[in-house]
Amino acid sequence: MGEDTSQYWRKLLKVDEPVSEDFLKTFRSPLEILRPLFYAAINLLCRFYFRVSVVGIENLPKDPPYIIAPNHASALDQTMVSYAIGKRRRNEMYTLATKHFYDRPIVNIFIKIGANALRIDTVEDFFPALRAATKVLKLGRCVYINPEGTRSETGNLLPFRVGVGVLAVETGVPVVPVYIEGTFRSMPPGKYFPKPVKITVSFGKPIYMDDYIRGKRSENAYYIYKEVTDELFKRIGSLKVGD
Amino acid sequence: MAELEQEIRALVSKIIKVEESKIKPDVNIFTEYGVDSLLGVEILAGLDKKYGLDIPEEKVREIKTLNDIIRVARELIAKKGA
Repeated sequence: MGEDTSQYWRKLLKVDEPVSEDFLKTFRSPLEILRPLFYAAINLLCRFYFRVSVVGIENLPKDPPYIIAPNHASALDQTMVSYAIGKRRRNEMYTLATKHFYDRPIVNIFIKIGANALRIDTVEDFFPALRAATKVLKLGRCVYINPEGTRSETGNLLPFRVGVGVLAVETGVPVVPVYIEGTFRSMPPGKYFPKPVKITVSFGKPIYMDDYIRGKRSENAYYIYKEVTDELFKRIGSLKVGD
Repeated sequence: MAELEQEIRALVSKIIKVEESKIKPDVNIFTEYGVDSLLGVEILAGLDKKYGLDIPEEKVREIKTLNDIIRVARELIAKKGA
């Protein structure tokens, strides 16, 4: 029943087409030469300024591919997760950064130094973004994606976009729910200097796709993607311990 | 052609879970009925399957109303028959 939609999505995302390792070069920047220096500074900030706690890091799969899916309420979020997962995993992670960040010159420089990042348009043109993420996962790397699609202006979770469910089901990779706490109070949208607030990054157990992939045989694929997205929303919400 | 319209109306109704008779031809089905935009892909996948059309992704962005869907289907059926 859901196989038709699934096949159509696979065609749109080019899931079954071969991918060259060279594709990953599109995420790289000469500025990444400054990355060790950048993270040396971030490590100090995270330890002494934000007093970052990392909870449940053992829940991350040992090796990629997988999707890291955190809540998003601050421009600090991606950097906090990058700090929490450590150098090896950070280098294997590819981030879909919204054009909102990418189109700001200073932020753009920091993104290029700190992350393997790709500019995406979550509103008008999400197919190229999902296609790029598919390729990264097929090449055995990890993708960082904010299921809310944008930053929350209130600190509360926004409704999730179903695209993360499509990506997970059609590539068959697990999704790791992550809740970042404290970044909203430290530096909410519209603020540019972070306050010294304690930050906690909590990793939940991965959501594996086997049951959902089987579910596509008997249900419209869209509703299977939606189920994954709803489960992710529930799991991320359950990682919140008070903000 | 009326038959095509009726078939597409039935297909869309089944996917967006709104009664056929309640779907107005010129309203944005995504905003009017609170339908997720990704269901547009489901609709095109249904057309793809039912009429054997090869629907490019640009068409997903073009469909907002029932009439848009019918127009896209007509265009592609005509193109296929040409």
